[in-house]
Amino acid sequence: MLLSFRRDQVDSNAASHNNNMEAELDSFQRQVAEKFTDLNASSSGDDLLSLEWIGKLLDSFLCCQEEFRAIVFNHRSQISASSSPTNRLVSDYFERSIKALDVCNAIRDGVEQIRQWQKLSDIVISALDSRRANVGEGQLRRAKKALVDLAIGMLDEKDSTRLAHRNRSFGRAKDGHNRSMGQHLRSLSWSVSRSWSASKQLQALASNLTTPRQNDVGLAVPVYTMTSVLLFVMWVLVAAIPCQDRGLQVSFFVPRQFRWAAPVMSLHDKIVEESKRRDRKNCCGLLKEIGRIEKSSRVMNELIDSIHFPMSEEKESEVKQRVEELVEVHEALKNGLDPFERKVREVFHRIVRSRTESLDSLC
Amino acid sequence: MAENGEEKLLAVARHIAKTLGHNESMADDILQIFSTFDGRFSREKLSEDHQPGDDGSSGVASLERALNSLDSQISRFIASDQPIWSDPADSAAFLDSIDELVNLTRDWSHASSEKPIGTLLSRADDMMQQAMFRVEEEFRSLMDHGAESFPVNHRFDSEEEEDEEEEEEVDYDDTTQIPVAQPLTDYDLIIDALSSATINDLHEMAKRMLAAGFGKACSHVYSASRREFLEESVSRLGLQKQLSIEDVHKMQWQELEDEIDRWIKAANVALRILFPSERRLCDRVFFGFSSAADLSFMEVCRGSTIQLLNFADAVAIGSRSPERLFKVLDVFETMRDLMPEFESVFSDQFCLVLRNEAVTIWKRLGEAVRGIFMELENLIRRDPAKAAVPGGGLHPITRYVMNYLRAACRSRQTLEQVFEESNGVPSKDSTLLTVQMSWIMELLESNLEVKSKVYKDPALSYVFLMNNGRYIVQKVRDGELGVLLGEDWIRKHNAKVKQYHVSYQRSSWNKMVGLLKVDSAAAGMNGLGKAMKEKLKEFNTQFEEVCKAHSTWVVFDEQMREELRISLAKLLLPPYGNFIGRFQNLGDIGKNADRYIKYGVEDIEARVNELFKGTTTARK
Repeated sequence: MLLSFRRDQVDSNAASHNNNMEAELDSFQRQVAEKFTDLNASSSGDDLLSLEWIGKLLDSFLCCQEEFRAIVFNHRSQISASSSPTNRLVSDYFERSIKALDVCNAIRDGVEQIRQWQKLSDIVISALDSRRANVGEGQLRRAKKALVDLAIGMLDEKDSTRLAHRNRSFGRAKDGHNRSMGQHLRSLSWSVSRSWSASKQLQALASNLTTPRQNDVGLAVPVYTMTSVLLFVMWVLVAAIPCQDRGLQVSFFVPRQFRWAAPVMSLHDKIVEESKRRDRKNCCGLLKEIGRIEKSSRVMNELIDSIHFPMSEEKESEVKQRVEELVEVHEALKNGLDPFERKVREVFHRIVRSRTESLDSLC
Repeated sequence: MAENGEEKLLAVARHIAKTLGHNESMADDILQIFSTFDGRFSREKLSEDHQPGDDGSSGVASLERALNSLDSQISRFIASDQPIWSDPADSAAFLDSIDELVNLTRDWSHASSEKPIGTLLSRADDMMQQAMFRVEEEFRSLMDHGAESFPVNHRFDSEEEEDEEEEEEVDYDDTTQIPVAQPLTDYDLIIDALSSATINDLHEMAKRMLAAGFGKACSHVYSASRREFLEESVSRLGLQKQLSIEDVHKMQWQELEDEIDRWIKAANVALRILFPSERRLCDRVFFGFSSAADLSFMEVCRGSTIQLLNFADAVAIGSRSPERLFKVLDVFETMRDLMPEFESVFSDQFCLVLRNEAVTIWKRLGEAVRGIFMELENLIRRDPAKAAVPGGGLHPITRYVMNYLRAACRSRQTLEQVFEESNGVPSKDSTLLTVQMSWIMELLESNLEVKSKVYKDPALSYVFLMNNGRYIVQKVRDGELGVLLGEDWIRKHNAKVKQYHVSYQRSSWNKMVGLLKVDSAAAGMNGLGKAMKEKLKEFNTQFEEVCKAHSTWVVFDEQMREELRISLAKLLLPPYGNFIGRFQNLGDIGKNADRYIKYGVEDIEARVNELFKGTTTARK
């Protein structure tokens, strides 16, 4: 009698325990769905792939990561048996997350490169921002030089490599253009070797990711969810920020059965659309601010080329207008890059911390 | 009279210059030549318009003339193909012209709204732009070529050190420099990356550029050049080119160990020699403009710093297997020892981020060390229970863990530091490291206890526990580990081993000894003889069995072996001797007693001394 009573009690405990687990996993799915629906809603026109929007994406990642961490912690007894399939799933996720760390580092290098462009545009602005009445020839020459450096710097990596090789055969250019090009190439890789490839890294991140069935018990679904979120975020970063061998060819697909699939796939498709646009096809990064700087500086460059001295009043006012535009773009970059870089760094640190904690708790 | 004469002379001179000189600059040159003949023909006197009547136009005209003369000077310099700075007199003159231009512009800027003056000032500005353009070009060229032609060529190759037997030396490849060999550990080395003269020139140029609003470009050029030089120097330190975290994670341990050694040298050279040297250079070139100096320095060093920190980070992230402890500790200690350098070299506002990164990564290395100990715990917990040692000897896991901990505790101070950083709560009288060590010992002992139960014979279990327990205490006793665990711990564990001894004896031998009890009150004389015969027979059988089995068991510690034998002898011999004596004196047995007595007392002793020798394999 006593025995059977006790057994019942254990069963009901197990049942309520299971219910709690289920609720937790369900809440996780819901949260991911909410976050991405939000992101999808705020991704119209100019907002998508802006520094601010990507910042929001990173924030969402951090939230999802936190919840995932909690889930892993709550299930640690399941995970610690080293032969359990759950253990394998979770270990697998954290091994994958190491690949994401390298992406974060490469992105940080890319942000620094954008900063170099921002500095060049700063030089253009200070050259043309004349307190005097007119813009002189010398100032235009100075601005032009910075604009040329900027244009070279913004070449897609493959193009700039070709250009560098071609120029090298003509010996050292007198005006140091070779140097600035060399700088751009070199500054791309502090954190990863010259042979590192962002697109290969993404492929590796995505490899062997098996879709669980909807009613798979245990942690298969949350692990799949977190992995997909991680992969998507890294994919967006690589799409937006200059880095070595960017390629969006990674096939990213989430079956509709998951609540968060629709908003994530919608964003994915929008971004793929963006990458195919004619004016952004060969750019070095889909970040909106990069496009703006590229456009502003190109327009300015053309304007300067069209100027003959003495400058007409019309030209002068045009110059003033373009400078103002450039100032706006430049300010946005200057204010946005630092916090963005900090966020990327935060993502890095949290991924590491999360991994360490679960390795600790798997003991 | 004389004044009038001089006026006339000057007027004539001006007239000649104007007539002969086809343009203004030629006229100017002619006036220049006149001025070398006679002191009266000073440039000011010749160029100035001495018509006292016209105020306004005289001012404008004088400005114009001044600008014209500066224009011709500056244009001449700019037009030249030769670097202006290849001749100190030229560069000085060029800078003078620029300074004059600056002064002129400043003096007249209040009147810039007046149209003629405004136009002239625009022209001045344009001249300034062109001059600055040239300065920037020469600045860049001087930065790049100055480094190349400076005769000191520093090598910090690791390959060099292989040739040295004792001290590591840095050789200077030199043409004009006196060779100085210094041990690499002497970081008081000062590198001047550029000659003093070059640095001076650069400073003069930078001064003008910053004052003319060309500061950003100047800083940009400076940083680009020095960054390349610095990265070249760092790459010559022999590190593999930018390993990603995954690369490090996948590396073979042997290879990674070597890379860590190279990294330690590189980090020291960078933080103690290269970066301070760059800082000094920045401060000298941008002297008086601290913001530009700070910014430029950060630009120069950022990449190399990140590269170095990334490697340390990768080591921290990828290393949890216990074999990696000592190398990870090396990296931890390097970061710890370099923290003061990080603080001082990256002390300015722009480098705050780098400083913080260094601290974060240092802390992460500490986490890695703690993680390694957790892995060790795992290893112990998961060591299979079934793997028991035949003969009850020393188990490999005991040997491994104890030697590991002994080796680890040689770095006790560093480990204390690592564990203090964790968020653990120390107890009143023990450090966190002590807590960690105690815990590992507990785990090991639990594991051993489980293993001991595998033996079918409980006596063997006790022998097993004795052996391993003794080994543990020995390894703890004289060394840092003993200091950590404390005298109390050692005492307690010695007592435990003694307890196993007692248990062993009890389980195998007590019954036997019990047989040797002579209860004279029990049976009559006849019954006693029979009982004793039975008992003796039983004793002989048991004794034979036990000796056979226990001879193949191992007690590795000589002293403990002796102790066991002595205590067994003490246990057995007196009662046995007593028993045999009584037996032999029994009436009805009498002469036949010897038939039943298999062992003399000496024989018993001899057999006992054969115990625990083990087979040759079991002894290993």
